[in-house]
Amino acid sequence: MAHKILIVEDDSFLQGLATTKLEKDGFSVAAASDSIEADKILQTLTPDVILLDLVLPGVDGFGILKKLRENPATAKTHVIVFSNLSEADDIKKAKDLGATEYMVKSNFTLDELSERITELLK
Amino acid sequence: MNETTAEIAELKKEIATKSDLISISAHQLRTSLTSMKWILKMFIDGDFGELTAEQKNFIGKVYESDERMIRLVNEMLSINHAEDMLETIHPTPTDLVLLMDDVIFDFSSESYKRGIELMFLKPSTQIAFAMADSEKIRVVFQNLIENAIKYSNKGDRVVVTASEKENMIEISVRDTGIGISLEEQERIFGKFFRADNAKKQDVVGSGLGLYTTKRIVEKHNGTIRFESIVNEGTTFFVSLPKA
Repeated sequence: MAHKILIVEDDSFLQGLATTKLEKDGFSVAAASDSIEADKILQTLTPDVILLDLVLPGVDGFGILKKLRENPATAKTHVIVFSNLSEADDIKKAKDLGATEYMVKSNFTLDELSERITELLK
Repeated sequence: MNETTAEIAELKKEIATKSDLISISAHQLRTSLTSMKWILKMFIDGDFGELTAEQKNFIGKVYESDERMIRLVNEMLSINHAEDMLETIHPTPTDLVLLMDDVIFDFSSESYKRGIELMFLKPSTQIAFAMADSEKIRVVFQNLIENAIKYSNKGDRVVVTASEKENMIEISVRDTGIGISLEEQERIFGKFFRADNAKKQDVVGSGLGLYTTKRIVEKHNGTIRFESIVNEGTTFFVSLPKA
């Protein structure tokens, strides 16, 4: 069965491209634009990997990550923080909150992202 | 507060505002550059149907320009950071192993992408803390690991170690990359200096990384040295006083 990915990304263009690419590579993808949508999806879906942007409307990515780690259902799910922020403080905060990995979006193509996800799921 | 102190405080405030502005602009620039990068790569890979050779060639050129802009934004951010780094340091007892662990986390996806094995051989027992300004020494570690990855090739390996050496803590970062020629070794810590083979490997670079690194280490009463052989690799050693 296809591995399930949840993308939390507010830029609809980036969200659409990532969804298209990952679906093409055989993943089953759900997408949310903010924490409210993400919460809704998580009520019915247990993703294998969550791709999480940081700058989001309402609760930011750090807030979402904190909640994900507090929730037993997602406490151990792979969370790749996927953001264009790259300050040391942001990376450290994400790691301390339990991110599996931190990727700066502009430094990766979508196939590199897809390969990384596949590797994590091995 | 006398007039000069007030002026310095005002100037620092302005520098901080400028620095924030650069960070915000960089984030926004990256968002646009990311969408271009992703979509161009999907075209090149035929995700939207096969392209003619001519179309592929032109799109490839735009993709390269976009990549160059991304590297320029990355460089702009590190220069922005370099200026802040040379301000006063505030050393406190710091666990360098833990700090290095954070930095390794930061580079794990980048090294994976480039097919370079990044390993941290941690000491088997807890080692003494060093007197370090963690924010600034983090930049030292980042610069050394970033260079080690940037100037290595697919299949190469970067190995990091940490150990106690008398009254110092020594961190080493060893790569099996392009190395530094004997003629250029003397100038490697110079401001704006970039070695010829480094320029070939990556055209964008400010030549400020190792200059800033050395300045930060020296401000800690520490030392930095290296051993290097062209096409075999380089090892940097940073020593900082124990707490």
